[in-house]
Amino acid sequence: MSEDQAWPVRARGHRRTLVYFSRTGPSILNNKEVVENPLHHFELHPIINLSLFGLDISINQAVIMMWVVCALVFLFFFLAARGRQLVPTKLQSVAEMAIEFLRKLVLDNMGEEGLIFFPFIATLFFFILFSNLLGLIPGAYTVTSQIMVTGLFALIVYLISLGVGFIFHGLKFLSILTPPGTPWWLIPLMIPIEIVSQLARPVTLAVRLFANMTAGHTILNVLFGLMLAGGVLIGWLPFGFTVPIYILEVFVAFIQAYIFTVLATVYIGDAIKLH
Amino acid sequence: MYIVRTHPEATVPQEQDEFRKGLAFAARVGMELVVATMVGVFLGYLLDRYLGTRPWLMVVGLVIGAVAGFLNVYRFVQRMSQ
Repeated sequence: MSEDQAWPVRARGHRRTLVYFSRTGPSILNNKEVVENPLHHFELHPIINLSLFGLDISINQAVIMMWVVCALVFLFFFLAARGRQLVPTKLQSVAEMAIEFLRKLVLDNMGEEGLIFFPFIATLFFFILFSNLLGLIPGAYTVTSQIMVTGLFALIVYLISLGVGFIFHGLKFLSILTPPGTPWWLIPLMIPIEIVSQLARPVTLAVRLFANMTAGHTILNVLFGLMLAGGVLIGWLPFGFTVPIYILEVFVAFIQAYIFTVLATVYIGDAIKLH
Repeated sequence: MYIVRTHPEATVPQEQDEFRKGLAFAARVGMELVVATMVGVFLGYLLDRYLGTRPWLMVVGLVIGAVAGFLNVYRFVQRMSQ
């Protein structure tokens, strides 16, 4: 089969890409393996079709994974809090450390008044952390790689910060649009700049988590695809790379959950303190 | 009800705290610059479509978004160095 004849494979097989090295790569790769598109596993397929008043509420992999995540978080804390001993068991001390760490975060960024939001912040952190980590299990779906999920979280956080600002400070909260120490002649310039910088907050929050999770999984997929395409002689090389990338991904799962939580506390804390 | 008890000895060591702050910093700054610019351009584009002043408000939005991104990063660095 010549190189030109290889291309119809792409037209025939839906969502399949050719890994194609013959011009530049070593001749061992000339067997023209066909591998999956690395973005294929981010697609959602309805498992049970449901609709409510014309809205599509089908159950897909992401929904099922969210149930699993909720169940696991619940199970973790149920098991951890069951004994409640003075000398904690292993599970209990892990849960206590995490909770205390989050409490310190809330106190640092939001002050004493912010402790009302402690349950929300802790729920957010554990949901994101568990869905990041569960997504790393082969075959599982990463809920946080859907921008709809991260976007909704970011929107809820941002709306809470707006609501808290208006409840705590009334219309004085609008002074976030003019930072303290602004000369009066700069005010017409500062207001649009501040509006943009405020609107950028939920977008950065959503895009950072979504992009980190999607990018990591795509890299792993590409490397595994290359491993399959490389065959016995060269395939060990991309396979070797997957190990450090996977370790990095575990690390990224923790860091991204932490950053999302920190920024949520900072944004709500800004609205509580107001400068 | 929502108050969680704390052990006095259960605090995070200082160096570990610094390390985490550094990581959070690294992960934040780039995204902040890019997204603020994009939001500015997008708002300018929307206003242009409503007012029919293509492409001028988009250019203004680009500048304002870039300034807003720098301002966000500047504030973030100030908060960190306190």
